[in-house]
Amino acid sequence: MTTLAAATKRLLSRLHDPTVAVDAEFIVAPTSMEEAAEILGAATAVGQAVAFYGAGTHRQIGNPVDADLVITTTAMNRIIDYQPDDLTVAVEAGVTLGELEAALTDRNLTAVLPETEPNATVGGVVAAGRSGYRRLRYGPTRDRILQATAATGYGKVVTGGSPVVKASTGYGMPRLLTGSFGTLGLIGPVLLKLWSQPRALATVVVDDAEVARNVAYRPLAVLGTGGNARVYLGGTMEEVDAQVEAIGGRSSDGLDWPEPHDPPLRLSFRIPARFVDEAVVAARDLDATDWVAQYGVGIVEAGYDRITSDGFSAARAWAESVGGTLVVEASPNDLRRKLGAWGSPPDSVELQREVKDRFDPAGICNPGILPGGI
Amino acid sequence: MGCQVRLPNLRAQGSQVRYAARMARAVDELTALLGDDRVRDHPLDQHLFAKDAGLRRGGAPIVVFPESSDEVAAVVKIARAHRMPIVARGAGTGLAGGAVPQQGSLLVVLTRMNRIFEIDEVGRTAWVGPGVVNLDLSEAIADRGLHFAPDPSSQSACTIGGNVATNAGGPHCLAEGSTVAHILGVELVTADGSTVVLGGAAPDTPGYDLRGVIVGSEGTLGIVTKVLVRLTENHLDAATLLMAFDAIEDAARTVSDVIGAGLVPAALEMMDNPMCVAVENFVHAGYPTDAAAVLLADVLGHPAGTAASIDLLNDIAIANGATSVRVATDESERALLWKGRKSAFGAIAQAAPDYYLNDTVVPRTRIVEVIAKTYEIAERHDISLMNVFHAGDGNLHPLVSFDASEPGMTERVVAAAREMVTVAVAAGGTLSGEHGIGFEKRELMSSVFSAEDLDAQARLREAFDPGGVLNPEKILPDGARCFDWGTG
Repeated sequence: MTTLAAATKRLLSRLHDPTVAVDAEFIVAPTSMEEAAEILGAATAVGQAVAFYGAGTHRQIGNPVDADLVITTTAMNRIIDYQPDDLTVAVEAGVTLGELEAALTDRNLTAVLPETEPNATVGGVVAAGRSGYRRLRYGPTRDRILQATAATGYGKVVTGGSPVVKASTGYGMPRLLTGSFGTLGLIGPVLLKLWSQPRALATVVVDDAEVARNVAYRPLAVLGTGGNARVYLGGTMEEVDAQVEAIGGRSSDGLDWPEPHDPPLRLSFRIPARFVDEAVVAARDLDATDWVAQYGVGIVEAGYDRITSDGFSAARAWAESVGGTLVVEASPNDLRRKLGAWGSPPDSVELQREVKDRFDPAGICNPGILPGGI
Repeated sequence: MGCQVRLPNLRAQGSQVRYAARMARAVDELTALLGDDRVRDHPLDQHLFAKDAGLRRGGAPIVVFPESSDEVAAVVKIARAHRMPIVARGAGTGLAGGAVPQQGSLLVVLTRMNRIFEIDEVGRTAWVGPGVVNLDLSEAIADRGLHFAPDPSSQSACTIGGNVATNAGGPHCLAEGSTVAHILGVELVTADGSTVVLGGAAPDTPGYDLRGVIVGSEGTLGIVTKVLVRLTENHLDAATLLMAFDAIEDAARTVSDVIGAGLVPAALEMMDNPMCVAVENFVHAGYPTDAAAVLLADVLGHPAGTAASIDLLNDIAIANGATSVRVATDESERALLWKGRKSAFGAIAQAAPDYYLNDTVVPRTRIVEVIAKTYEIAERHDISLMNVFHAGDGNLHPLVSFDASEPGMTERVVAAAREMVTVAVAAGGTLSGEHGIGFEKRELMSSVFSAEDLDAQARLREAFDPGGVLNPEKILPDGARCFDWGTG
């Protein structure tokens, strides 16, 4: 056993010693996936729960986790391999979206990650399965993760996917890891597919988002907010100009994304796209202070100062009745415990448990954060 | 590590008798469930369904044709009771042996589950049966201004279920993404015969993305009995460019420069001279027979935007020595050019009775060198090589036409194909872009994955199918993890 693993094990064992009043979190910052795997292997050996931390952007999503050891990715923050001519980039988990996008500007490329979370880390975005508004045009983040490495709960470094933009070679491990919230292990370096930024970009303010979506040809996003509805366009100058004229309304150059809020409570309706208008009504009925509705995608994120549990339950029941979910994306832990972070577990929860057991046999990786207490 | 898959010992005579009795009971039970005409065990059926479009032949004593999810679930339970491995199959157009039944398997043919259940025009989705033919789906929704984007060359025959199994591609996956980007949910009959829905029309289903895991899993994790597909809006304007080159390197460099310029056309295909000649003889689409290589590019989009892309493609091609650039905007001319591309595998029948189509992917910056090495390998093995491939995403398809009746020929072809895979992997590429691993490349998996990587994949498989009864001997090499074959 290496020194690091031995030290980790020693520290962890102290947590279980009733004579030592240790009431602290250990935070470790491995510099490689091999180190992370050793730490996880040691934690598995003693059955100690581990949580993962990037920038903390998504720390309030999911069931609260009790863990005494936190592994942070801050010491793994390199852009490993940037291949602009192949439209790919490999990055470590701790790289922030802002840093990554800055590195891609030399060739006018983008990784199409969440537009309003520049401080979030790539690892955090992958773990939480977050996508940006431009998913309407480019698809969700998970479709652009070509290859991913993880340090598993059982203490090994594994890589899945392929180092190229298209593959049907083995199981879709990157797809399994995306959105897994660290419950299978620490997500490490990922290879991302890039897109070229359109030459011209415009934001058009419209009256009716759904009408505008049908007039617009392949918009980047169509958003409804508390203030107005907007269509986001990208393409050649001629194409964007022609579209702005066809759609009508007030336009400005560039992409004017909604100002991110930090409300005490944020809910996310994830529903089939045809129910977006109904979800907006449901969100407003709960007295939302602000909201962003993604037309054509099926997500309405809404902020609240307070909420009634009856109103919340009714909204969640509606979302689930149309085949969706109502997810608590930000709240104090006690409120999230009370409301339930996710709602009813999915149909496949037993199958999911089988998967979890094989990658995290001791159940130490972010235990319970997912639906069904996985 | 290193454990062996345990196969039933059919050599012992007593065991053979018991095996025959077990098969007879299985046929009886399946017939009671599905009726006479949907359970086949005649030697002719056994022969017909023993292979896919690749070279390898297997053997299934029983072939069944369920028509509903419930029937599939019941079939799985019967197979389990009689300890038969289960192999699902669509149209059998696969080339990697993914649907070739291992000896003793129950083959579940899903082509009769070909209903389109519901179409949501606003949400742009549809629930369809796995047996729906790829092109039939796009034709059924054409009047709504929508289509299903994955378009494998076999699209007039291959099924959506098969597309899901192999994460199928096609020329237009360059801009639209492979099948996985177009599958929102699946209904799955699992190894124990229960039914579960994964994913759905709502985005980001909480929990693991098992939908995403199912796509490309080649029938080893469950049998997909319904598919929720994402539909793509049709483009407003289209043009197809046919660019001719005197040297294949010029064409390959054009591809690299196009991608390097950040331009991702809807499709960007390459065909070498022997392929152009074969296609031209076959469809008379006006392919230049004197060019060393041609590139076929599709520019789809908004009418105000396509002109700029056409100009850029044209400029890059000319800068790389293109000898001619033909731009087709007329729909019938475009259709003819694409017919040429999609008939490639039919066209080569003129050259020889058999063909072996390889499928590898390389980084787009390495196409030139890998193609050159591919020709060297063919020359060294004295085999006839043609190239027709999805150049835009680096997905190579070296195509060998040959006569399998010539002694030693098949072995030579397979040996050359292995070398071509090795060259692609050495250039930072991978084993398959769209055909899958199946049986064909499972032993090559360790050339791109470490033992730990393979073990992780085996763990995932085991979570779905702890008994290893679903399409065993596919994807993962022996010894990736210890499966307890045929139990339960």
